[in-house]
Amino acid sequence: VIEKTSRPGDVRRWPGRIPVRHRYTPGRAGEVFFTALRDGGVLLGSRCTRCDMVYAPARSFCERCFAELSADVEVGPGGELASFTVVFAAVDGSPLDRPVAYGLVRLDGADTLFLHRVLDAGDEPLEIGERVEVVLRPEAERTGSILDIEGFLPVGGSTG
Amino acid sequence: VKRRVAVVGAGMTRFVRRAQETGKELAWEAARGALGSCALTLEDIDAVCLTSAPDAFDGVHMKGEYLSDGAGGWGKPCIRTYVGGGSGVFAGIQAWYTVASGMADVALVVAEEKMSSTQPHPQGAFLTIFDNVLERPLEPNLLWIFALEMNRYMTVHGLDKRDIATVAVKNKRNAAGHPSALLGQADITVEDVLASETLAWPVQRLDVSPISDGAVALVVAAEGVAERITDRPVWIEGVGWNLDTAYWTNRDLVFPEYVANAARMAYDMAGVTEPRKQIHLAEPYDPFDYKELHHLEGLLLFDKGKAPEAARDGVLNRDGDLPSCPSGGLLGVGNPIAAAGLMKLAELFWQLRGEAGARQVPGSPERGVAQAWGDLMQVGTVVVMGTEGARRGTAAGSGSAGPPHLTPAPPDPAALPSEPPSDPPSAAASTSHGVTPPVGPAGRALTEEEFRGAVGAVEHAVDARYEWDVGVAVGRFLEGLRAGRILGRSCSGCGRVLVPPRMFCERCFRATDAWVRVETTGTVETFSVCHVAWDMQPLDPPQVPAVISIDGSDGGLLHLLGDVDPSDVRIGMAVEAVWRRVGERTGSILDIEHFRPRRGEGA
Repeated sequence: VIEKTSRPGDVRRWPGRIPVRHRYTPGRAGEVFFTALRDGGVLLGSRCTRCDMVYAPARSFCERCFAELSADVEVGPGGELASFTVVFAAVDGSPLDRPVAYGLVRLDGADTLFLHRVLDAGDEPLEIGERVEVVLRPEAERTGSILDIEGFLPVGGSTG
Repeated sequence: VKRRVAVVGAGMTRFVRRAQETGKELAWEAARGALGSCALTLEDIDAVCLTSAPDAFDGVHMKGEYLSDGAGGWGKPCIRTYVGGGSGVFAGIQAWYTVASGMADVALVVAEEKMSSTQPHPQGAFLTIFDNVLERPLEPNLLWIFALEMNRYMTVHGLDKRDIATVAVKNKRNAAGHPSALLGQADITVEDVLASETLAWPVQRLDVSPISDGAVALVVAAEGVAERITDRPVWIEGVGWNLDTAYWTNRDLVFPEYVANAARMAYDMAGVTEPRKQIHLAEPYDPFDYKELHHLEGLLLFDKGKAPEAARDGVLNRDGDLPSCPSGGLLGVGNPIAAAGLMKLAELFWQLRGEAGARQVPGSPERGVAQAWGDLMQVGTVVVMGTEGARRGTAAGSGSAGPPHLTPAPPDPAALPSEPPSDPPSAAASTSHGVTPPVGPAGRALTEEEFRGAVGAVEHAVDARYEWDVGVAVGRFLEGLRAGRILGRSCSGCGRVLVPPRMFCERCFRATDAWVRVETTGTVETFSVCHVAWDMQPLDPPQVPAVISIDGSDGGLLHLLGDVDPSDVRIGMAVEAVWRRVGERTGSILDIEHFRPRRGEGA
């Protein structure tokens, strides 16, 4: 059944795209988290007493036991760098002008990891286990977005 | 070894146009409602069966995994199934085989849909269902396929649009008694439906179910376990599903044979030999009003073309001989796609337990059927559910207790007054017996202003473009178009000439045999006059999409009609291709500019 292509120029493709975009509202817990971040400059998490877990960012329910949760714990602003990567290429593979570091941070008081940029700490190489601290944008520039956080800045010292 | 499986609990959120809750939060609200209704916790759940319709609604790929925490899937065997609009009822089938097989004793079934994220209009998600190369260049939208099917169904059977409109009226009135409903309306009339804006003739605004966000969940359990959870399990007596060909232009649009096949499979398993006697209520899929009727015929509950007069005569009303969509259906409660399908199983559960409150069908019904439909007008999913009494009736071979109208209805002390409540019941009221679904605070509707202004909201567009290989058969077909020819493939197994051509016959599952030059003329199988684009912006002048059966073949093509006044177009009209000039052809379905009436036809 597979026909041999005798004229490769005839192999044809039809171009297309999906012309939709999406608008995501952050939901019940998300609204509380982003409002507190914007207005108070604080990071809120949710404690499940049954599972002895603190989720950050805040959630409206515990995925382990299904208990209803509220944004009742302030976490950070310090934390521990649990892992990191340094990215040299953009999504399309083109080289970045400057490499960018991304880290997973266990904020003080939280059990879950938080993804964000790791800010330039000079020439010191990053180390798993080192202490970092959240850096926020100035209050006047905050809009209620994950980008109200500039990133995590290594502050020296280690938890491990 | 097959085990019997029962539904033991159900829950749902409100269906709203835009929910404040995320998809995960909606799923969790429905799931904990279902667990709470039968006093179970997540620890009691062995497996999670999850469903949600196209990823394109959310722009979240791996949507099943994304939703899994809200569905209770953490640390459990959890899988999302998907068959388009048929998904919600299929989730019940998935739960049945998960438990019947012995893999799980108790399963949580969750269906979630959040359509409000899609901008500018959720219909954009459906642009991807049409054939990439042969149909998408024509810019078809979802309304086309409903309008085309509805027109043919109406024309072949000589149906009155008024009779079809009674379905929209019935369902919106029924939904006035549903605490979760988006479009319940106790005083709507047929005139309101017939006076609503024409979207794609014969489809008008009020023939169509609303875009919605929402979630529904069930708990199912194996025989032996179910009876310990509740004294009134509702048994899943039979399940069936069936797919028709992906070439929807090659299909019988008048009768949904795939639904009939799914129904026969489910009835056979349930021991239902005379569905018109043994089925006491139905929740057929009703995204459009005519679909409910089309599906009732597919479910073998009415003769072909006879469901509309049953609607007109009140047979389908809540107190009629065959109550249909007593919930209010998709037209009234709302259509968060996958969730709306599972809502039909939840409604059977509540109705068969006598817990449907203001919506309760009289006469203590013992067996019902729920059905959904989806993909490209292609899949039928069917579930038959019954009480312990229904099972004994079937086992005795007596054809069960008979239609509910023959059974004197004892007054139900738990039933609510028949007028709709002015306010949704409070969370506290939801725990009292006889009020279902258990409605908590979940499903808070956002206004347009709140939606646009929500703190933390993010806009995102998937920046992906595609290049679809046209393939072997269609590549040759497109070369034919460039030369002004329409080509088919013959199958000597079934004797058909296939248009669009394919290198294999999906019926005989063998290679097709030869290229055949067929005519460039054909017959209008069905058509619509479409006044709106996919994003619901007005089209002026309107477009006239049609399915054209091609002379000399057994197939057909989707295309547009031109050089004709839309009011002169008729089903059965002879048409011919109008070609682009030779130098302007590119090897595309658009090398045919449109089809027009042959001389002597139409105007």
